[in-house]
Amino acid sequence: MRFVSYIARRIIGIFGVLLGVSLITFFISHALPADPAAAALSSHASNEQVAQYRRDLGLDRPVVEQYVTYLGGLLRGDFGRSIRTQRPVIDDLRAFLPATVELSLGALLVAVFLGIPLGVLSSLSRNRLPDHFVRLFSLLGGSVPIFFLGLLLISVFYNQLGWFPAGGRIDTFVTPPPHVTGLFVLDSILAGDMDALKSSLHHLILPSFTLGYYSTAVTARMTRSSMLEVLGQDYVRTARAKGLPQRIVVARHALRNALVPIITVVGILFGSLLSGAVLTETVFSWPGLGGYATTSATGVDFPAVMGVTVIAAMLFPVLSMLVDLLYTRLDPRITTS
Amino acid sequence: MKPNTFVLPSVVMAFLLGACAPAAAPTAVPAVPPTAVAPAKPTAVPNTAANTLVYARAIDDAVTMDPAVAYEFSGVVPVSNAYETLVRYEGTDYANVKPSLATKWEIKDNGDTWGLTFTLRDGAKFASGNPVTADDVVYSFQRVIKLKKSPAFLFTDIGGLKVESFSAVNEKTFGITMPKTASAQAFLAVLTFATGSVVDSKLVKANEKDGDSGTAYLQDKSAGSGPYVIESWTKNVDIRLKANAAYTGNKKPSLNSIIIKHVPENTNQLFMLEKGEADIAGNLSSEQLDSLKGKPGTTQLRADSWTLAYIGMNATVKPLDNVKVRQALRYAVDYDGIVNNLLNGKVSKVQGIIPKGLAGYNDNAPFKQDIEKAKGLLKEAGVENGFSMDMSLPSSAAPGGAQWSDIGAKLQSDFKKIGVTINLKPTLEAELLTAYRAQKLQMMGEDWGPDFADPDANGTPFGNYSAKSLAWRNGWDDKESEKLSKDAALETDPAKRVAKYKVLTEYVMNNGPFIILYQPTEGFGLRDNLKGFAFNPLRVIDFSVMSK
Repeated sequence: MRFVSYIARRIIGIFGVLLGVSLITFFISHALPADPAAAALSSHASNEQVAQYRRDLGLDRPVVEQYVTYLGGLLRGDFGRSIRTQRPVIDDLRAFLPATVELSLGALLVAVFLGIPLGVLSSLSRNRLPDHFVRLFSLLGGSVPIFFLGLLLISVFYNQLGWFPAGGRIDTFVTPPPHVTGLFVLDSILAGDMDALKSSLHHLILPSFTLGYYSTAVTARMTRSSMLEVLGQDYVRTARAKGLPQRIVVARHALRNALVPIITVVGILFGSLLSGAVLTETVFSWPGLGGYATTSATGVDFPAVMGVTVIAAMLFPVLSMLVDLLYTRLDPRITTS
Repeated sequence: MKPNTFVLPSVVMAFLLGACAPAAAPTAVPAVPPTAVAPAKPTAVPNTAANTLVYARAIDDAVTMDPAVAYEFSGVVPVSNAYETLVRYEGTDYANVKPSLATKWEIKDNGDTWGLTFTLRDGAKFASGNPVTADDVVYSFQRVIKLKKSPAFLFTDIGGLKVESFSAVNEKTFGITMPKTASAQAFLAVLTFATGSVVDSKLVKANEKDGDSGTAYLQDKSAGSGPYVIESWTKNVDIRLKANAAYTGNKKPSLNSIIIKHVPENTNQLFMLEKGEADIAGNLSSEQLDSLKGKPGTTQLRADSWTLAYIGMNATVKPLDNVKVRQALRYAVDYDGIVNNLLNGKVSKVQGIIPKGLAGYNDNAPFKQDIEKAKGLLKEAGVENGFSMDMSLPSSAAPGGAQWSDIGAKLQSDFKKIGVTINLKPTLEAELLTAYRAQKLQMMGEDWGPDFADPDANGTPFGNYSAKSLAWRNGWDDKESEKLSKDAALETDPAKRVAKYKVLTEYVMNNGPFIILYQPTEGFGLRDNLKGFAFNPLRVIDFSVMSK
């Protein structure tokens, strides 16, 4: 019961966030001194044509009235139509969101499966060579710009070595798997399409590493300090005194207890990966939400910008809920009440 | 409370782990991906196929593939390959329209209107197999006007046309009644553009949904009679065309499959071109084009563009209302410095409002930096102590490859020499346009390209205040210029017309609210086995004449 009420409270909270974010974004975007109708019709159209388009889109109505209409639609799952393309925004979100989610999951995998082992390695070899190496790697991760890293990787691994493709989600001459989740890797598995699976994994690696490098660095640093703290605890000493092998001590006693702060960080990182994928998407021609958001923002296409903002804003409370649920698994002292 | 709370996270983790395992072995993936598994998809051709063209460029400007709505480069290029227009240009002759869907046409003087009659080509068929009839033309042109989208002004404002202006005289004869306030010659030029495409009315009507005139249907496919059909458009991924098997015209394509691939980062375009994975790279910078010199398998091409980069001066703002001040500013600019240093000399110095390549181009370029003369003019205008002015510039690249911010900084230092202080205001394009349309800018920078191959496409916007375009946005209400631009547009004798445009361009050059900075070129990186590539300044790339 407590769990159900916990979920209910969190969902109500998510709606609160939705209301707040949509309200703020809506009024800020309408306060901009830029006319989306003028942007959509190019500089060659006449003023009459622009005015007519504004009327057709309902942009001449009071902002409050426009907001109420928008919010009403939103509650029914209707994100409105893009001013620039006249397509329903929800269609565009459906097309672009899975690509960004797939890329972010790829980056998260890199962060978790590279960052945590590196952090553990670093903590176990404190102030020795592997530790120095990992700390240098982490330092670079925090300071190398994504754009530079992406182009560097493409230059080396595509242009020089030819090991990886330059960009896109799948080879131009491989048919994408039928749309189920929109995640090419998962959809290829579901369809049993090995060629599509190979090609989409092949395309996912460089961008995942590019986007995930920063998170990997943060995760490694976090793991290192968290592990160092736990390794100094009495129960670890006890475990070692009992003669347990290092492997068991590290994996079962130390790492598990070190994981709570790490998961907090990874949860936050995942949210920032989703919203921070813009540059990676540009460098790797990745057809995701980032590119869509940029095109929409420069064209002051309010409904499209709102759609992206609302989705991004909802991800954070959802993620934090998942992280909280994970805590309860890792540490029985934490409950959902 | 034994938690089932772990179900969702563990599903996620299971997925992550599942996806991770094969990811660990990237070397297992063959360097050359195999052909597609689904033989039903006609796009499944090998990478190296001689009959396939891959054109890498940014295509996120595309809004639709519907000819009545598309106005952006990435929409216009596929449309102009998938549809036929009544008349078209051939090669680089933009002075004379040639037959396409119409084999002949005549313009009759009906007293207070022009009567245009077009005879359609016998045997012309759409890709669907339906014959092309005058009813299709009426439907297509009415659709442009009814939909009221970006290119509609070409019909309503340039042509002065309404829904009832079009008629099907018989199955193969199509008529337009045009008011005398519009130029029939100029409208023939409009008809060569993608907006003049003839759509398969039977097919489109059958696919109309909720009275949308088929816009949803035509968004990512074609219903035309051109040498290609638009097979698919996956947003921010690619646009695919294939040869139209039922094509009845005389431009039989040699390349079967065209893939316009979205590659927003031009460094990637360059790499793909060098490795032979792209045949055309569309957004290379001047430096990148130069870097291709000597690279095996590649070549480069700089094509003419009719775009003009200009600075507007709002003539309602003091002291810009004084023609001498505007002239002084024109004499303060170091044009050669901009052309040679900021744009590597790869653009032309043009100072008239009609670009090189169009009839009526005026090659007179009287302005070069002359600080003494400029100061003298300011003195005559009574502002010898200078003044300060805002200059709004797009926060993006200027045509030809320089940044507007760099051009702005150069102008700022040039104007400083005559005591004029410029406050640079980098502005989002959409915001700039909104203020410009409301006459609210002081000085600004933009570019302008003609919509059709006729000097009127620039003469009216730059010269005629009543047209509420560029002259209006800069608050330049000049009756003489208005009269000259109208006269020149409506002149039917070609030689007299050129002479009239000479007078107009000369007048605007010295009196108008514009500083024309330069005319850029459009650069392309190409594979050297690609033949027949040409970019026409009306932004058309004809795939049917290319081969490998």
